[in-house]
Amino acid sequence: MDTRYIRNFSIVAHIDHGKSTLADRMLELTGTITSRDAKEQLLDDMDIERERGITIKASAVTMHYRYNGQTYMLNLIDTPGHVDFHYEVSRALAACEGALLVVDASQGVEAQTVANAYLAVETGVEIMGVINKIDLPAAQPEVVAEEMEHVLGIRRKECFRISAKTGAGVKDLLDAICELLPGPEDRSAETTKALVFDSHADQYRGVVCYVRVFSGKLRVRQKIRLMHSGRSYLVTELGQFRPAMVPVEELGTGEVGYIVANIRNLADVTIGDTVTDDANPADAPLKSYQPPMQMVFSDFYPGDNTEYSKLRAAFEKLALNDASFSFSPQNSPALGFGFRCGFLGLLHMEIIQERLERENDLDIVQTAPTVTYEVVMSDGRVKRIESPSELPDRTLIRELREPFVRLEIITSTESIGGIMKLAEARRCKLIKTDYLNPTRVMMEYKGPLAEIVYDFYDQIKGISRGYATMDYELTGFEATHLVKIDILVNGQPVDALSIIVHRDHAEQRGRKLVTKLKKSIPRHQFEIPLQVAIGGKIIARETVKAFRKDVTAKLYGGDVTRKMKVLKKQKEGKKRMKSIGSVQIPQKAFMSVLDTSD
Amino acid sequence: MGTYSEPLRTQSLGLYVHVPLCDGKCRYCGFYSEPAANHDLDRLVSALISELDRYPADTPVQTVYLGGGSPTSLPVGSLARLLEAVASRWPGAREFTVECNPGQTDARILTVLRRFGVNRLSFGVQSFHAQELLLLGRRHTADDAVSAIRLAQESGFENIGLDLIFAIPGSTPDAWHQNLHRAVALNVQHISAYSLTVEPGTPLLQAVQAGELDAIDEDTDRAMYEMAIDCLASAGFVQYEISNFAREGFACLHNQGYWDNRSYIGIGPSASSYDGGSRTTNIADIRQYVRRIEAGQSPADESERLNDEDRVCQTAVLNLRTRKGVDLAAFQATTGADFAEVFASPLERHRRLGLLEIEGGRVRLAREALGIADSVLCDFSSF
Repeated sequence: MDTRYIRNFSIVAHIDHGKSTLADRMLELTGTITSRDAKEQLLDDMDIERERGITIKASAVTMHYRYNGQTYMLNLIDTPGHVDFHYEVSRALAACEGALLVVDASQGVEAQTVANAYLAVETGVEIMGVINKIDLPAAQPEVVAEEMEHVLGIRRKECFRISAKTGAGVKDLLDAICELLPGPEDRSAETTKALVFDSHADQYRGVVCYVRVFSGKLRVRQKIRLMHSGRSYLVTELGQFRPAMVPVEELGTGEVGYIVANIRNLADVTIGDTVTDDANPADAPLKSYQPPMQMVFSDFYPGDNTEYSKLRAAFEKLALNDASFSFSPQNSPALGFGFRCGFLGLLHMEIIQERLERENDLDIVQTAPTVTYEVVMSDGRVKRIESPSELPDRTLIRELREPFVRLEIITSTESIGGIMKLAEARRCKLIKTDYLNPTRVMMEYKGPLAEIVYDFYDQIKGISRGYATMDYELTGFEATHLVKIDILVNGQPVDALSIIVHRDHAEQRGRKLVTKLKKSIPRHQFEIPLQVAIGGKIIARETVKAFRKDVTAKLYGGDVTRKMKVLKKQKEGKKRMKSIGSVQIPQKAFMSVLDTSD
Repeated sequence: MGTYSEPLRTQSLGLYVHVPLCDGKCRYCGFYSEPAANHDLDRLVSALISELDRYPADTPVQTVYLGGGSPTSLPVGSLARLLEAVASRWPGAREFTVECNPGQTDARILTVLRRFGVNRLSFGVQSFHAQELLLLGRRHTADDAVSAIRLAQESGFENIGLDLIFAIPGSTPDAWHQNLHRAVALNVQHISAYSLTVEPGTPLLQAVQAGELDAIDEDTDRAMYEMAIDCLASAGFVQYEISNFAREGFACLHNQGYWDNRSYIGIGPSASSYDGGSRTTNIADIRQYVRRIEAGQSPADESERLNDEDRVCQTAVLNLRTRKGVDLAAFQATTGADFAEVFASPLERHRRLGLLEIEGGRVRLAREALGIADSVLCDFSSF
């Protein structure tokens, strides 16, 4: 197809600002689907996504639209809306020339909107501002347009005002996409180069690669090569998403579609890889975007040790459709066999945990999430560790670095004070404050990921009564004064309870930690000392007192049946815990180490 | 209960007869009983006797225990009929206990008890403090208890036990100490000391929940228990079970049968029977019980068939409540299971914590474990 009539674009938006509804409306207006077979929000096809109202995996759809007497091919590449899935947004944008930045007319610009706008600017795509939900009584399109001009630099006059729900303004928007967004460069004469921007495993076809062709073309039965892996494959099927998979004979320059090439494992395909012709390969691959980086780690143990292999099978199944989390066997001295898992962020972790339990009927004990640290050893080597227990001996460490993020928070002016106080307590430094209008402010911070990864977002939501939004982006590793806090339960160090914290906060955190732990460990037959050690020195101690009385006064003939039931139940109650020596530790104790509230 | 299984013909058995009557309900009592005034007591006694008739005369009953409720709530004539029915069937029983309410035990009743071979009395004294008796809802005084026991001794009873309750809301270690001393001073042969259990559905529980009463804290409860053990030991009482103390040779044979997990027959509403294979419990309703017996039907309300694991575990849990503990050889002989093998892991764990003692072919709770016995026993409740 003539590249002048192709438009590749994404819609980026904050959660609930109406991205999926807009996509549905476009599908209908272009006749790609009829409203009758439009399930609500067609692009979100996983249950959990629909329940949480968010999109996790990027999808793509090809539409045809008549404008000015010409048929345009519109390829919409969907993106997720949550902070954890930044990299998926950037991978979608890498396949586009344009992006629609959608903002809710009643909510205004949110932190994710800003982060997404930055991403779009970095990728170099053309941005169109869209103000959605103008049909709402609370809509303030002019105020929002003002914010978009002020914060995002999109001229207020150029913002489109639409209602994806009623369809108002959507046709004008489609016209404008054809009119204003640039088409792909015409490089059809060059050799084949296509970007793999997503993939999924199909039960019958094997791996389906989502591609955007940048030069040359792809044909069925063409022998292709994945430049990163160096492997060659024969294309058995090409197609477009309309939105069902419809086979085509070829995909030309600028087009978006899928490749099936007898690839068995999802792991064989690197997202961001360049597809080229095997016989006439390109000299250099396309400029790829940053691969996703797992920033949050947590250990998963089966509640019952005998279910280890069941847990492994469950992970393997999940990994088939989500290449962005990792798992590797872990053997904790305290907790036995389990898996160390890496996630993009906390939400990603919660989704995986929920799917594991829901789809596999597993009882899981999970340790508190931690971040990756960089350790500069005394011999100069740099080592990455994913868990406090991997931290080498102090004497071997020259420097300890932790990941830092740039943080954008948009909130109401009355919550500024509370948020500043919280941010300060979490070692975040204010970079700038920008008033969007007299009642809304954007605050930019720099701070350690470890301090915001757990409950920071919940906290600012609480402080701002649900108003504030937040987004963050990794900026790199920086050396800070970190120390490891170890916890000894009944004299025995429990690796899964160790945390790494800033030296200035260590003592206070350590004390708070044992207080929390004391509340979450049930009383036993004996006294359990809980000790906090920093660098081998005990700095605090609490005691879980022994219970003094647990006995049935009378047990005669008529009481036996009932009493045996009660005793069995008492024994069962110990099962949902992890034994460490003779101490039973419940799941909530492992999470309590990150709870910094009073 | 027209049939009975093998063990009932061969083993020595306990016979328990439940008289579910009271002159009023105590505030802590969770057992099944009804006011005597509401019932045709002759009919009830006749029903109890016909349930007895379902067992052949050669059933080897060794011990009899007539409990309640309070058997002394029966009119003397009815009580005499019931005692006669038992005594004439099993004249050779070694131990024949009747529970006595101190406020109801007069010379006439004692004479009747003596006449039909009752050789052990158990008095529900509970406390010698008026305030505590009031709180428990008992309808007798400390003086009633003292004079009833003296009268029983004068009537020739030489095996008398009494029950005490500690950790009553408002009580103190001192008050408990006095109770123990007054009990010992009565020169009885047996003392049961129970920590007050606040049972569901009792007025006492409601009072605690409503905040009208403060339950005794765990540490004080435990201290009172330890005090009982020490105080009774120095007075010459041997502790032979978690809550039971007796002078040498006066341990209750009938109750020992329960802890040995031997078979027993339970007669009367809500009574349980165990034949070595099943536990059966009679219906807990006097009218329905009488109707069923009169119609020739079974009074059983529920029955639980025990598998091997149940039997092994019940034997372990019951044996461990006693101070002699589990006799490993006897355990193997009666259950067919090797105790040290099937319970290897809890045995080792609790031994390491100093809560179980293994000595001379026996396993028993350490003294330290008595007050927290359930936390140990629960690990023996299944494999």
